[in-house]
Amino acid sequence: MQVKVKLFFTLRRGRSRVVDIQLNPGATVKEVIINLGIKPSEVAIVMVNGHYSNMEKQVDDGDIVALFPPIGGG
Amino acid sequence: MMFPEAKILDVDLTNQKISVRSLPGEIYRLYPGGSSLGLYLILQEMQAGIEPFSPDNMLVFTVSPFTGLPVAGLSRVVVTTKSPLTGTIGDSQAGGFFPAYLKANGYDAVVFKGRAANPVYLFVNGDKVELRPADHLWGKVTGDAERLIKEELGDEGLEIAQIGPGGENLVRYAAIMNMCNRANGRNGTGAVMGSKNLKALVVKKNKIAVKAFDKEGLTTLTKNVKERIRNNESIDGLGEFGTDGDLDGFNELGFLPTNNWQTGWFPEGAESICGTTMAETILVKRDTCYTCPVRCKRVVEVPGKVDPFYGGPEYETCAAFGSYCGITDLETVALANQLCNMYGIDTISCGGTIAFAMECFEKGLFNTDDTGGMELKFGKGDNLAILIEMIAKRQGIGDLLAEGSYRAAQKVGGEALKLSISVKGQELPAHMPQFKPAVGLIYAVNPFGADHQSSEHDTFLVADPDSQERRWLGQLGVYKQYQDTFDLDDDKVRFAFDTQCFFSILDTLCLCQFVWGPAWELYGPDDIIQLCKYGIGWETSLFELMRVGERRINMMRYFNAREGFTRSDDALPERLFDPMPDGPSKGITLDKEEFEQALNTYYQFAGWDVKTGNPTETNLRKLSLDWVVKR
Ligand code: SF4
Repeated sequence: MQVKVKLFFTLRRGRSRVVDIQLNPGATVKEVIINLGIKPSEVAIVMVNGHYSNMEKQVDDGDIVALFPPIGGG
Repeated sequence: MMFPEAKILDVDLTNQKISVRSLPGEIYRLYPGGSSLGLYLILQEMQAGIEPFSPDNMLVFTVSPFTGLPVAGLSRVVVTTKSPLTGTIGDSQAGGFFPAYLKANGYDAVVFKGRAANPVYLFVNGDKVELRPADHLWGKVTGDAERLIKEELGDEGLEIAQIGPGGENLVRYAAIMNMCNRANGRNGTGAVMGSKNLKALVVKKNKIAVKAFDKEGLTTLTKNVKERIRNNESIDGLGEFGTDGDLDGFNELGFLPTNNWQTGWFPEGAESICGTTMAETILVKRDTCYTCPVRCKRVVEVPGKVDPFYGGPEYETCAAFGSYCGITDLETVALANQLCNMYGIDTISCGGTIAFAMECFEKGLFNTDDTGGMELKFGKGDNLAILIEMIAKRQGIGDLLAEGSYRAAQKVGGEALKLSISVKGQELPAHMPQFKPAVGLIYAVNPFGADHQSSEHDTFLVADPDSQERRWLGQLGVYKQYQDTFDLDDDKVRFAFDTQCFFSILDTLCLCQFVWGPAWELYGPDDIIQLCKYGIGWETSLFELMRVGERRINMMRYFNAREGFTRSDDALPERLFDPMPDGPSKGITLDKEEFEQALNTYYQFAGWDVKTGNPTETNLRKLSLDWVVKR
């Protein structure tokens, strides 16, 4: 199945804003993150299809996953 | 160890008298720089109830015992005065090279009192200090004034902190600019400078003579700095994308303040004004402050339109002139930033006030007769430049908007009163309390109005417990893990208060928050202890430093109490308690009752009176402020 991943702030570095990835059915957000070569500890907030979610959430074909590092002030 | 003395330059503008005094080390240790030192002098020497534009208001520039040491993030200057925007104590910080060179001339503080009969500027060259006429500089934008000052002194080696026409015309949110692109932006300190007929504080770039107490020891902080940056994604990313790197992320989460905070959802514009887009398009250079390898400052250029001399917009500026106003065009935002830097006005309050005016116009509270024919509609960027100029010169509707959204709303009355998104009269920075309630709590209680750089943000409490950010916060006793950012329980309130005290250390010691903050920055809390030891021979602990931070906050609240401020002034705009209307955050609500409860808890944790929100005598005495009570 295919999932679209939107990356924000530092997670974009060396990657692009949006990445399409192929996964086996039943994969979780955590697997999406690992698949992209990102350390799960670098991700603070997860959204799936525009809703607040978490790492354990199973994703479906066509889902849009957005990943955020801990973002502070400035 | 002997704590260093503070050397203070006193300038009486009314009588054109200049003198120097020193403050003993045992006092400096309690108020070691920044607005803490500023407050110490103001509470000693200024009566209550003085109008911000009165000659009797004091205007104090301070650095710290650390300023100018060759370590990243140690070149900050703080300006303390009674704010014409909030009526509270005013506090504003800026970086650049000016702070290091002010200290290089030997001074920890410059205190201005009185009012000059005609415009002047102060030129500081070591022991040679003189007031010089500035009639020919009055009315000039910052870039022109800087050039003229360098020409007439025949010296390129100068650092200049100055006001532009905004400060001269008493725009209540006028800034003090150095390098023409670094701002003591908030609280209208530039207007106080204007009211004193003081155009600029000019310092000669004399050799930086600040010596580390233990040079060898200090290298433990500096020698691996490049590697530290490489291993720190947040800091390296801050260098790459600037503070604006977060903007489209906030939008994706549904919390980018848009159309005067009516929504947090700006899908039509967030991508085009975010830091990634800036880096890909108009960014021509990254700039820095004295000895800082992070280089987070933007320099942007649009040939024929935006001049790189005036730097580039931060996140706050992109939000204030972008999403607050519904404007989607980055070049328009960059030009607005440039104009604010030329005229010397705060970008956050300026954008916030214009967004307020746009909503007034759309709701029929202003019409084209009021605006001189302009259609002040969200998304219409073509009026922005002219509006900023009108504000700086107080022309037409600009005269009303130069008062800030709060006073403008009072004048317009009726529904307008609900449209000023401000606390204590200061427009909110671009972090939404509905997403970050602990930041919202600090917006409400912060002594000098809504501020986003006075405490740590809720987002770190959902970060991985093993992350560097959490390990550093752990040094402050922050341990609780949250599933999302929306809680405002006791642990959150403690997090808000404790990190507020920590940020208050930074604004006292004049340390850049991006380098020395308690979570995602270059150095952690324990590194500050090393800095104190090796930098000036101060053997201290987080315990003593947290007291230093707490002391500053209490002095500020005490100052405000003298001016008649109470708990009722610690209120967020009503709009913030409405459910989020659309986008990914739809339906999320900051609960008003829970917020009021958190306020109670905050005052209790701070040791203040819950009814008035003011410091108790006991708490002031605990913080060695018994002299304040006795006065
Ligand atoms: S991190 Fe940025 S603002 Fe802070 S000292 Fe370095 S360049 Fe200046």
